[in-house]
Amino acid sequence: MEYIVEKIGMSRTVSVPSKPVTLLKVIETKVCEVKDGTAVVAYSQGKNKNKSIEGQQKKYALPSDFNCFATLEVANSEAGDLDLAPLASAQVVKAVFNTKGRGFTGVMKRWNFQGGPAAHGHRFHRTSGSIGNREWPGKVQKGRKMSGQYGNEQVTVKNSVLSFDAENGVLVLVGSIPGPNGAQGRVKVVK
Amino acid sequence: MKNKYIENFEKAQMAGKNIPEFRAGDTLRLAVSITEGDKTRIQNYEGICISLRGEGTGKTVNVRKIGANGIGIERVFPLYSESLQEITVVRRGRVRRAKLFYLRNLAGKAARIKELRN
Repeated sequence: MEYIVEKIGMSRTVSVPSKPVTLLKVIETKVCEVKDGTAVVAYSQGKNKNKSIEGQQKKYALPSDFNCFATLEVANSEAGDLDLAPLASAQVVKAVFNTKGRGFTGVMKRWNFQGGPAAHGHRFHRTSGSIGNREWPGKVQKGRKMSGQYGNEQVTVKNSVLSFDAENGVLVLVGSIPGPNGAQGRVKVVK
Repeated sequence: MKNKYIENFEKAQMAGKNIPEFRAGDTLRLAVSITEGDKTRIQNYEGICISLRGEGTGKTVNVRKIGANGIGIERVFPLYSESLQEITVVRRGRVRRAKLFYLRNLAGKAARIKELRN
């Protein structure tokens, strides 16, 4: 079962030993159409609205603020509010989030290259240096670590569930998950 | 300001904990539960609170005492930890600072703190 969630932030428990926890808010979702366990669902995000969204809202009789659509595995067998029961009994979940985007990044930050000395006449500071051999092989090997876009890529992590507050829709996971606070992602119930 | 969901989560854990009010300079007696094998016992640790930091469940207190052979010992306790059974304020100290790290550089009589009298 999958759920769309928003990362709230991190905290810790007072138990011995203390555990780091991540709080996730389960976003209110309505199931529009179910087919073999996968469903078209709608949720609210921003104020984006156009004729095609309005057409879908009319088709599924949705409130006017449910303007985003997605495909999820659900426990529901028919349209309506998303069934949160599997979360209450979940022990382990997989969280799918985008990592923090760091933009175009040099090799020292992206690949932990050592770099060179900063001073005393050195001309090799933070650059990548040599990237290959000579006339043979005459090309750069595939997979060569170079500077480029770092972060903002999808990462899946497995976390155990500490608790689920159905009233507020707050899921508490042990450990950390990728992405900044406020980021939207998915959790998938594994066990 | 903390997020209200995080605040609620932490409040639920801190509920029922009876922590007296104290600040840096106060002498505290902490009852620490220690597990050895399958036995649990309580050990008291007494010293001067030299700093309080953090908030919520992450709030900690740094307690300094002078151990055997005049060696300074500092232990940092999470204030709301389940291993802290009781906190007693033994003596209130008159200090002008929130962090008393200067005590580390003082020894003997110079490291005393006057008692707070109202």
